[in-house]
Amino acid sequence: MKNTRNRSLFIYFILFGFIAGLVYFIYEFIVDAHYWAMQPINRHLSEGVSDGGKILDRNGVVLSETKDGKRKYADDADVRRAMLHVVGDGCVLIPTSVQSRYTQELFGYNIVTGLGAPKTLNTNKDIELTLESKICSTVCKAFKKEKGTAIAYNYVTGEIICMVSLPTYDVYNKPDLSKDSNGEYEGVYINRALSSSFVPGSIFKVITAAVALDCIKDVESKTYKCERLKIYDGEKVTCMSSHGKIGIQMGLCKSCDIVFGDIAVDLGRDVMQRGVEKFGFNKPINVDGITLAESKYDLTDASEADLAWSGIGQYKDLVNPMHMLMIMGAFANGGIPIQPHVVGKMLMGDNIPVFISSALPYSRMTDGKIADKVKSMMRYTMKNQYGDSMFPGMKICAKTGTGEVGNGEKPQGWMVGFSEDKNFPVAFVVIVENSGFGIKTAGPIASIMMKEIRKSY
Amino acid sequence: MNALFSILLYTIQITLPFFMIIIIYNCFKSLRMGKRGREPFIELLNKSTGEKIPVMYWENSIGRSKSSDIFLEGMTVSRDHAVLFRREEGWIISDTNSKWGVLVNGDKIEGSKRVSIDDTINIGGIELVVKRVRDKNTNSGKKRKKEEITFDTVPQGLLLFWVTVFHFLASFTACFHSEELNLNPAIAFGTVTGIGWLCFLVTKYGFRRVNFELESLGILLSGIGIITISAADIKETYMQMIAMGCGIVLFLVILFFVKNPESAMKFRPYVAGFALLLFVVNIIFGKIKNGSQNWISVGGLSLQPSELVKVAFVFVGASTLERLQTAKNLTGFILFSGACMMALFLMGDFGTACVFFVTFLIISFMRSGSIRTVILICTAAVMGGVLILKFKPYIVSRFSVWRHVWEHVNDLGYQQTRVLTYSASGGLFGVGIGRGCLKYVFASGTDLIFGMLCEEWGLILAVCSVMCVIFMGFYARSASTRSRSEFYSIASCAAAGMMAFQMSLNVFGATDILPLTGVTLPFISMGGSSMVCVWGLLAFIKASDERTYALKR
Repeated sequence: MKNTRNRSLFIYFILFGFIAGLVYFIYEFIVDAHYWAMQPINRHLSEGVSDGGKILDRNGVVLSETKDGKRKYADDADVRRAMLHVVGDGCVLIPTSVQSRYTQELFGYNIVTGLGAPKTLNTNKDIELTLESKICSTVCKAFKKEKGTAIAYNYVTGEIICMVSLPTYDVYNKPDLSKDSNGEYEGVYINRALSSSFVPGSIFKVITAAVALDCIKDVESKTYKCERLKIYDGEKVTCMSSHGKIGIQMGLCKSCDIVFGDIAVDLGRDVMQRGVEKFGFNKPINVDGITLAESKYDLTDASEADLAWSGIGQYKDLVNPMHMLMIMGAFANGGIPIQPHVVGKMLMGDNIPVFISSALPYSRMTDGKIADKVKSMMRYTMKNQYGDSMFPGMKICAKTGTGEVGNGEKPQGWMVGFSEDKNFPVAFVVIVENSGFGIKTAGPIASIMMKEIRKSY
Repeated sequence: MNALFSILLYTIQITLPFFMIIIIYNCFKSLRMGKRGREPFIELLNKSTGEKIPVMYWENSIGRSKSSDIFLEGMTVSRDHAVLFRREEGWIISDTNSKWGVLVNGDKIEGSKRVSIDDTINIGGIELVVKRVRDKNTNSGKKRKKEEITFDTVPQGLLLFWVTVFHFLASFTACFHSEELNLNPAIAFGTVTGIGWLCFLVTKYGFRRVNFELESLGILLSGIGIITISAADIKETYMQMIAMGCGIVLFLVILFFVKNPESAMKFRPYVAGFALLLFVVNIIFGKIKNGSQNWISVGGLSLQPSELVKVAFVFVGASTLERLQTAKNLTGFILFSGACMMALFLMGDFGTACVFFVTFLIISFMRSGSIRTVILICTAAVMGGVLILKFKPYIVSRFSVWRHVWEHVNDLGYQQTRVLTYSASGGLFGVGIGRGCLKYVFASGTDLIFGMLCEEWGLILAVCSVMCVIFMGFYARSASTRSRSEFYSIASCAAAGMMAFQMSLNVFGATDILPLTGVTLPFISMGGSSMVCVWGLLAFIKASDERTYALKR
């Protein structure tokens, strides 16, 4: 029997093996339960078996709620389409949406009670957004069939007023993506404002200008010579037209490539790289708990012509729209942007606010004086190049851009800017993907958006 | 639903896991308290040296081998010379093919012979006199035994009473968790309680046994499984309750049948033959269900013969010490195991084949003690496994999603992802029995039942349920030297190891820690044959508790 005792130790392999496996499972459970529970396949969420809180827009319009055991969305189909990326769909397919990120608040999920707490003990909250669904809906319609994104925010409070991303769909009428052969719904689950980066084109010139104002002493009095084409170290850089002798302010106004190409080359690789990175390029930016798609500015292996191109928003430059909006906020706000956010309030029970958002400054991007100079250059551009009639009754500072993507595809059309008026502190970014000249494609949408916001502000 | 009432239900739901922990704790505490101390039964007085050798176990090997329970030095003593063991009638010495034989009171014995106090046993020239252990009170052997095994355990009826209260609370919440009153859990509660107490009465007054801890745990777990599936409105619930009844009957029959290890040993060839016959019938008449051909239909009833063979397998594998020393090789058992596993491969039931294989390893190691054999067998198995994967590519596809289930949410990882999502939805205390969503997923009541436990009863209770079976394994191992025979030790370790390993495949398969294999969770999973089998296995663990037979009320 003594032998038996020793040999029976063999089953410890199985017993301790099981315990080890179980401990590992519990570890995974603790780490990943939130991810597991918030999957689109969870019928507790999508069928509203679990009671969820409401999502409202800034005017109290219901965008999403649980009613009769089902998750219901806004009544207006256009609003549903416009708000899809912010609100989310029943399947938690859009990771940056409020419904995906605030599951704990909305559905009361936590690892201890799971989704099992009775309704009376449920800690779910209603979420009031800073967005105005009516404006979003109008802007969304203005995109027609184009893809892209349009965002606007109050650069003093940080409240995002409008954020749409296209393509989009109606949550009540989901498209069958497997049958989407012509790319109509390409990247439909991505909120382009947050999770994409695009070739900036000329809108990047405001950043180059800011770096130049910081690092080249007499840059405002300097003139450059534009003959439509310039050879840098054997490679050519072209401009839209021959601007002749031209300074930095006029260069921005006319969007002269040679001026900003020359400035970039004058500044040199290191100064450009450091200057641009101060604006938040090449690093993850966290806005309201979401890590934005990174904006890129990379001069390693860049030739002189590449350096010139990088100064005019081409080469390897990429910009995330929300990041661009923050840069606009920085110029409007004396160099320090306020972080944008979408959640204004969280309410519990009988509309008792348990959370109210506040203006949180992000780190300084540029000197106050330089910001003001760029602001005035952008105002000059708006007044003299695009015309104030685009934004009646507003004092807008703006810049358009046309980011060439190559491969025979149409360029990215941009318009970025902000209102100079402290009583109407709104900044905006509009990008229309593969559309053409920014002023022709993004311009009208920016105009519609700002006019709509002006009406209700 | 009334808000206050829903809070009451939730409060009960939260208390359930703690209640269960208390029940499990008390059951195992009672098992521990029921253990005999480490005093010897009798002593052997070595006439020439005057040395007193204590006899510690129910079965003792005598020989020159260092690992013998009674170690004797001498050229004429064989390595495994004889076995001295205790049965109902008294102490028996058995010559296990020794070279020089065994003499009792001067007469050479053939096979085995009863010895009494003051008899002289001659082992290869060494004379040993059987002596009582000198003690303060010189009572007769039988009375002494009663004192050694304490009565001072938790009252056994109380254990079952707590189990009943637990089941009552659980089924009470389950009745009210759907939108309208669901009476199925109430019926389940009534039946489980009825079967449980009937078993208790039969054990206590019919067999006059004192111990009821393992049965209480079995009833606790079976009840959890039955209440879960009854609340999910699965119509096979009544079958599960019948199976539990049948399982308990099998449990009692096996306990009765293996009461005398010697006579039970005689049945081994017949049981082995019957098991193989079952497999042959299965292969010829079997129906293919969910990819493996392990079902046969008898008069409208679906049976899984492989489940019943598990019980037979453990029985055939176990052996008394006497038999182990006489017939040393494992050939018969290896052939039997090989045939079983071959049959399972033919049926395509690879999960069960793995369970058989591991049980085979436990038994063969406990019988031979040879690590080398185990390594050899494992190497052969790995090579065989590689060959199987070559010829059965669909198994490889199972491995391909393993640890990548979230990339296959709607195809090969469908079941595992649901298990994880709904387990997480349950949190620590569950969403409520009958309120889960995993029940809509295929095989939720069998392969994925662990997920259902997590979702509806909560993680704590699910972990307690599986740990309960693991504790049974620890108990089986700690009782191995106190068993009345090596036969029980081997059988109980094999049974506990089999259950624990099968549980690993089930729990970790469903949660994507191992590839999904499709075996059942002992006691809890739906499946009549599985339920019957697991109660049959529990009988072996119970048999290893020396109080089961030694002590009468």
